[in-house]
Amino acid sequence: MRLSGTDRSRRLLTAGAGIVLAAVMSLVLIIGFRLATEIRASVGTLQRASELETYPSVVSEQLTALRERLDTLEYTGHVHAELAGSVRGFNQDLAALERQPGLDPAAMHAAAALWRSYAGVLTPVLAYDGEPYSDTATTSSLSRSGRVFYARVRRAELFAQTNAAALHRQLATVSASLQARTAAAAARLRLLLSGGVLAVLLLGLAAAYLQLARSRGERAAREAQEQTRDILATVREGFFLLDADYRIGAVWSQALTHLFARQDFAGLSFEELLRDKVPPETLATATKFIKLLWGERAHENLMKSINPLGQLEVSMDNGRGGKETRYLQFDFHRVMGPKGIKHVLCAVGDITSSVLLSRELHEAQENAHSQLDMMVGMLHSDPLQIGAFLDSASAGLKHINAILKEPARNHAEFSKKLAGLARELHSLKGEASALNLMSIAQRVHHLEDMVAQFKGRSELTGNDFLPLVLKLDELLAHLRGVREMTLRLSSLKQGTPAPEGTLSTPALRLGTNGPEEVASTLHSLARKLAQDHGKDFKLTLNGLADCPRAYLPTVKDCLIQMLRNAAVHGIEADAVRRAGAKSGSGQVRVDFRRVETGYELLFEDDGAGLSPEALKEAAVRRKILSAEQAAQLDNRASLALIFKPGFSTRTEVSMDAGRGAGMDVVAKAVYGLGGKIGVSTNPGRYTRFKIALPTASETAVA
Amino acid sequence: MGTAQETVARRTIRLLIVDDSNIVRRRIERSQQFDELEVVGTAANGLEALELARRTDPDLVTMDLTMPQMDGIECITQLVRFKPEIRILVISALADKATAVEAMERGANGFLNKPFTDRQLNDAIAELMY
Repeated sequence: MRLSGTDRSRRLLTAGAGIVLAAVMSLVLIIGFRLATEIRASVGTLQRASELETYPSVVSEQLTALRERLDTLEYTGHVHAELAGSVRGFNQDLAALERQPGLDPAAMHAAAALWRSYAGVLTPVLAYDGEPYSDTATTSSLSRSGRVFYARVRRAELFAQTNAAALHRQLATVSASLQARTAAAAARLRLLLSGGVLAVLLLGLAAAYLQLARSRGERAAREAQEQTRDILATVREGFFLLDADYRIGAVWSQALTHLFARQDFAGLSFEELLRDKVPPETLATATKFIKLLWGERAHENLMKSINPLGQLEVSMDNGRGGKETRYLQFDFHRVMGPKGIKHVLCAVGDITSSVLLSRELHEAQENAHSQLDMMVGMLHSDPLQIGAFLDSASAGLKHINAILKEPARNHAEFSKKLAGLARELHSLKGEASALNLMSIAQRVHHLEDMVAQFKGRSELTGNDFLPLVLKLDELLAHLRGVREMTLRLSSLKQGTPAPEGTLSTPALRLGTNGPEEVASTLHSLARKLAQDHGKDFKLTLNGLADCPRAYLPTVKDCLIQMLRNAAVHGIEADAVRRAGAKSGSGQVRVDFRRVETGYELLFEDDGAGLSPEALKEAAVRRKILSAEQAAQLDNRASLALIFKPGFSTRTEVSMDAGRGAGMDVVAKAVYGLGGKIGVSTNPGRYTRFKIALPTASETAVA
Repeated sequence: MGTAQETVARRTIRLLIVDDSNIVRRRIERSQQFDELEVVGTAANGLEALELARRTDPDLVTMDLTMPQMDGIECITQLVRFKPEIRILVISALADKATAVEAMERGANGFLNKPFTDRQLNDAIAELMY
């Protein structure tokens, strides 16, 4: 763990106090040692000085003893020797004392001077080595030298008696000064020792305080650590730090384990974290973004606005062997240090539910929009046309219901049933989108989705159709709503004056769904398709007026499907057309004419044409043919594949094409009228459908 | 008497506008509220932009990403190579964050989503230049 600022300063303080106290202690010890040495020396000197103090009286007494012996004519030799010893001792001790430093110099000097004057009277006494007595047989008396000696002794005695007190006083002064010095040194030592003890006490106190503070700090740090751990364990977001190598740091929040279904994060690189969970392109973008974050060039706000991981779709193992899609939100914050960016803090949240919710909201909104669109569309459409559509749609849905109720006992029957459903739905969708009733078209599209899902299944039970039945019910209810709205709108329209140019009243046009309406429906569908698919083409209609009323609904249905196919598959995108040196705008031509045998409907677009090879491939992909069967087909038979139920070359499905119901619906309708349909093509140039219909009287009007 | 009015002579910023839409170009031109900003050229595609940049030596470029002939990403790459200190503000309707990241990586300095308000544009420029 990193040291906090207070922690570091506390450590510095501890070290500093330790050093200071150690220095103080060593100083105390050194000074103490020196003082002790000094005191020891002083005590020795003092002893000598006190001994010296006794000498003046001793010398004086010895001189007196010597004189008394001479008076009584006793033996003087040993007293003489004692005196000599005393003088020698005094000399030595004085000399030793004089060498001692720090004595009271005046007193010392005075004492020494006085002693030197002693020498003047003592030296003659000591120098005497004659025989003081002259013995006769009866009496003893002082000899001549003895008398001299006596006089010397007497003089010295007198001198000593006079000066002993003074000398003693001087010596006492010297030892007093010595004593004072020693006492001062002792006092200093005492002071020093007290200081030392105080210092030790302080040291102890400081150590105790620091120890306390440290343990308190440690406890605080431990608590903080525990709190951090609790936060990281409890917080619902995934938190971690990235270092300059884009690797995850040692500390991360527990939520990461749920978010990423793994346990080891420390040292993991950001790339490894996301690998296998997002597509490689996304991973590459994410890695680049992280690098940019470290770049410091861009502002954090800017980086936030281009964050490609704001809503990241990840696919995770769901723990049951499958994959599950989740949405994660990554937020990045740069952590600045004194030397620029130190870390990048990443916060990861699971926003799956909010994404799904917003999607639902969006769908609901779309629904509302499409309702509005529909109303607007209905305002622009002929209510009768809508009415006719609603009738046929209801009939269609009833048919679908009937199909659903048909019992199907084996796979073949199921497939047949599904193909029937798909066809019905597809033509219903075509009509609805031609009338701009997008809400209906979208619902039918959903139903188609459901049916398409069944197609892939090998086994179906009645229950599988249940959701389909529910959806159908919903659609029927919707149709009722639309019908009601149509009625209201038409009554609204009737109540208001007819706009200019619409002279015919609905009543007059009752039951007519004439060629003009068909033409306008086809033109508006063509415009819509061109817009939806970004294609540019022009629809030309010829001869529709010649179409017998009995054929018109079928012809309309067929043209709607073919027009959609032409817009989606036939007409190429602008760029492709330009590259192929075609005119910018595509052409779709419809010619209806009378011929000897009845009628002929030609539908031609100058688009990409049909490729027999592509058709065969698609048929194999859709499992309509096996690869071997496909290989045996010639061009003509290959082209005929487009009339097979379930055929489509589109790999993705859109509202307008790709369902695989389309040309088979057309073919079936044509056959229903007793007609024939054929296709011819020139790849890259055109596709042409030719539909031959018998004269109207030859067939029973459907 | 009277104090001398001191005018701080700020260097003019030479702006090059790159966008394939005439409307957007004019919109950017009009929204300039900085006195010290001078539009030195407008280009409708990357190639034009490069040529203009060589001629007019701009300090700041507003850059669209999807353009014919040469797209914004390529143009940024070359602009930065030609004048490393140039500041580039990407203005794009692309919701695709990957492209934004790519642009930043190539050397763009800022990013602004279309549609934008005058205020957003001026803020973005201010952030880049001051």
